Amino acid sequence: MSDVSRRAMLGLLGIGSVGAVGASWPRLTGADIPGRGSDSLNVAILGNAQDAESRANLVKAFSAAHPNIKVRIQAIQGADWGDFFAKILTMVAAGTSPDVVLVATEGAQLFAERLAEPLDTFVKRDQSEVQDYFDDVHPSLVEAFMYQGSLFQLPLDFNSANMYMNTGAFEKAGLSRPGDNWTHDDFYNSLTAMKKTGGKQFVPYYWTNRLFGGVVPWLYVNDTSFLKETRSTGGNWFWDKFYANDPTRGMRSGGYQWLEPNAEDPRVAESFEFLRTLVAEGLGTSPAQGGGNELVAQFASGLIGTTPAGGYWVQGLHEAGMAEDAFDVQFFPKWRTQRHQFGAAGYAIMKTSTRKDEAWEWIKFCASKEAMELAIPNPNTTPTRRSMVNEALYSGKGPAHWQVFYDTLDKFPSSGPIPAPPQQAAVESALIKNVLGAVTGSAANVRPALSTLQRDLELALRRV
Amino acid sequence: MTTISVKESSSAPGRTPAPRKKIHVSGRTAGRAAILIVATFLTLGPVVWTILTSMRSPTESLGAGGSIFSGGLDFSSYTDVFKQVNMWLLIWNSALVTGIIAVGQMFTAALAGYVFARIDFRGRGVLFSIVLATMMVPMQVTIVPVFMLIRGMGLSDTLLALILPAIPTAFGTFLMRQFFVGLPGELAEAAAIDGASPLRTFRSVYLPLAWPGLAIVGILAFNFHWNEFFRPLIMTISEENFTMPLGLVSLQGNMGTGSVSTVLAGVVLSMIPALVVFLFGQRYLREGLTAGVNK
Amino acid sequence: MSTTTKSSQIPTTPAGSRGSRRKDLAQQRSGKEKGAKGLAALFLAPTIIGIAIFTLIPIVASLTLAFFRWDIISAPEFVGVDNFVAIGADPTVRTAFLNTMGFVVVAVSLQLTVSIGLAVLIQSKMPNWLRTFFRSAFFFPLVLSASSVSIIMSYLFNQNFGLVNKVIGMIGIPAVPWLTSQVGAMIVIILVYVWQNFGFTFLLIIGGLSSIPTEMYEASSIDGATGWKQFKNITLPLLSPTLLVASVMAIISALQIFDQPYVITRGGPGDSTRTAVMVIYETAFKQLDFGRAFAIGIVLTLLIMLVTAIQFRLSRRFVHYN
Repeated sequence: MSDVSRRAMLGLLGIGSVGAVGASWPRLTGADIPGRGSDSLNVAILGNAQDAESRANLVKAFSAAHPNIKVRIQAIQGADWGDFFAKILTMVAAGTSPDVVLVATEGAQLFAERLAEPLDTFVKRDQSEVQDYFDDVHPSLVEAFMYQGSLFQLPLDFNSANMYMNTGAFEKAGLSRPGDNWTHDDFYNSLTAMKKTGGKQFVPYYWTNRLFGGVVPWLYVNDTSFLKETRSTGGNWFWDKFYANDPTRGMRSGGYQWLEPNAEDPRVAESFEFLRTLVAEGLGTSPAQGGGNELVAQFASGLIGTTPAGGYWVQGLHEAGMAEDAFDVQFFPKWRTQRHQFGAAGYAIMKTSTRKDEAWEWIKFCASKEAMELAIPNPNTTPTRRSMVNEALYSGKGPAHWQVFYDTLDKFPSSGPIPAPPQQAAVESALIKNVLGAVTGSAANVRPALSTLQRDLELALRRV
Repeated sequence: MTTISVKESSSAPGRTPAPRKKIHVSGRTAGRAAILIVATFLTLGPVVWTILTSMRSPTESLGAGGSIFSGGLDFSSYTDVFKQVNMWLLIWNSALVTGIIAVGQMFTAALAGYVFARIDFRGRGVLFSIVLATMMVPMQVTIVPVFMLIRGMGLSDTLLALILPAIPTAFGTFLMRQFFVGLPGELAEAAAIDGASPLRTFRSVYLPLAWPGLAIVGILAFNFHWNEFFRPLIMTISEENFTMPLGLVSLQGNMGTGSVSTVLAGVVLSMIPALVVFLFGQRYLREGLTAGVNK
Repeated sequence: MSTTTKSSQIPTTPAGSRGSRRKDLAQQRSGKEKGAKGLAALFLAPTIIGIAIFTLIPIVASLTLAFFRWDIISAPEFVGVDNFVAIGADPTVRTAFLNTMGFVVVAVSLQLTVSIGLAVLIQSKMPNWLRTFFRSAFFFPLVLSASSVSIIMSYLFNQNFGLVNKVIGMIGIPAVPWLTSQVGAMIVIILVYVWQNFGFTFLLIIGGLSSIPTEMYEASSIDGATGWKQFKNITLPLLSPTLLVASVMAIISALQIFDQPYVITRGGPGDSTRTAVMVIYETAFKQLDFGRAFAIGIVLTLLIMLVTAIQFRLSRRFVHYN
């Protein structure tokens, strides 16, 4: 290429780029985005491609009901809750925080403590309008969003850690679907049977090392946890108003509190030892930190016998091509109790919002049955309204015993949320980094590992 | 200008003949070939696996036991990608952002690199060290203040928020400086004797020769920013402003329940533009690297 | 900083000859001096102003905030050097820095070795199209984003179902717990990182090799030098300026490794793949301790500067300019 043509190229490039910049100026400045910069209500959610369409429908329906409130959804593309939270924090720092944020159990107490506005006055004011919601939603889910006697969110969807089973693998091992109150020994025996018939690549129990569905369900069924769980007082105003006649009314409190570590509890050691045995005998995988993305595909291709997951899995398995009768779901096996772990999510109003009333209208709307049906057209999560967990949602996608998803709450009303104090992130990383060491070494290694966990948790809880 | 002959980059990289000939060729050659083939297999293997897996139906994507090559091709994952995310908008945004950053970096780096290489002034060394030192600060440390600045400028949630902070480039300036240092100083002297102004010396003598160096800066900038995830995550808010990597993450779905083959199809689609730029720019890259950086 | 200043001059062409000629031209140039200064200011403006606004101001802000306790939500509170004291006592930070340094030593050595080896091999006699093919193959991984690579690699290295274990299973090696053993996880992170990044180093070295005059080899062939001897006596010394640039770049970026462990291992098992930048990210965005995160960031930056300065210092002994 001669110098002249190079210069011509450079010139062209220059002109071209100036032209491109000019032509796309509205794109560059975001001026072509409708409703931006206007006084709309900003709603931040952890959005993914799966629910883009339902999101749009939701906004349309809301606008029809509230023509004077403009809503803008900010679907943040974090890979996980951590990314999402990083994003929200940056927005807070810059003074552009959204008005309403969809917060999962992981962040509920952090938001309640620092960022969110209690819903108490709104709930009291509009009691008649929200009564219908509370009538349809299990109190365990609501209690997870009580903090020091105040209510911060109305949960919209939840997932319990139930046990998914590969029906083919069960049949091949000569096993039938376990009963509702199967025990951890029954579970162990099923795994042993499946391992014999499963083939070389087959894994009887696959689990991931995270807060949801990792070691915690095994701690809960053993009537313990890695943090001491207490309840705060207060909240009676709420329970008397909305759940006065609920049979579990007496159990309800002003919210969960996790103030001290509990990793050296002998029952914690017992649960860890059980998992260690599973790993040592080749019945369970040793769980990697991170990962988990491959799980749906592996389960759908029949390589996994059992794994803990919630209702959110159904759609994924369906899309991965798994027939509805190829898998089923059952409660988590019983040990000392059969208490389950769940995670849930709902909207919280930001303290900094100048549109709290509009924000409340959005929350109220999203809690309505109409909105929830728009928001959750597919079983990629479980709606908190009992009336929506029905045949229609699961037909053609399975599992046969989809009732398990909501029955978990009814049959085991002591089921509780992911242990997530305001220092959740530090607590989670302390737990996760000590799990593998405890479950992959020798039996003698469990207790030292748990002592380390205890120490790390003490540090983590002191933070913030 | 074409009269000034410069060795330039035509010293044919890769064309260097093999230094040794004939002496026990066969054994040595076989060994070398084997290493190259294994290396090719290792570098391309994961890519081939990705492409093949993306072309299988979701059910078979990680199928039990079966060979990767069994089963027919299935492009449903690709249509799924377009169904699930607004692919054209993502491509357009990414192209705009990376294109403007690349051209902007070429422009600013050429100017600054030239000065650092060829114009002496007091404090040049210090200034250059400061520019270099900014490469050593991890982005995670500066992202929050940058976001606040962008907000202060009224640019939050625009593509400009992604573009403007990325245009000044320490790395590019460093590369261009190395490049200009590598060009013979006699050129400037000749031009000075001809009475050319400093601006003219730059524009007519050095800039035309710097084309390969500029190509490197542009291609590397394009490649880097095309694949960038964390900055777009923090800087953009509206879906309309998302770039490709953000779209890819959203394919992974809630709790990782998105289909593997769809996620991988997204990966394959997103690597095409960067690949095209790389393949077309390869020659300049090699020439540029040969002529410049190695001095 | 001053070390960097002086040493940054090193990779320039030897100024000796230019210096004497400069004197001759002094008269002609004096008139132009002013113009050149103006031009310098004008040309530097976009870069310097841009870097000042978008990098230096944020750095100064972070530097200041490192002496504060700041959770983003409430107002910063001055704590003196507490953050620095705290990170000194934090075993996680210590582990992360040690991991990072271990990673850098192994990964960068591997990256340079692989790049040099392949670049030398690719200079062998072969048809041009084949050479182009190999070259393209080797830099292919460079065009993938770190996050896609990390997703792909988590699949490939899965202990139970991954292709890697399937392949080595064929030759009778039992499944390796890649991501669930401390050593295995670090190996994966190193392999993935090198796999993705050696392409750039490789290109730099190809460039360097091709600027070595062929006559040098021919001359030494006549002297009877072959293979390794030629490599040691000709290739390496003449390649040393390139190697300096390549290794400086490789080390600066390897010290800032984040994406691969963040996606593939989340720093685990235990803390075995937690890196310095990961700790910065987690301390800031997960534990809401921005002051401490910035303090760690400063320590890391100083470490990078120190390493770079040492490299340039060492380069005086090992780098040959002809």
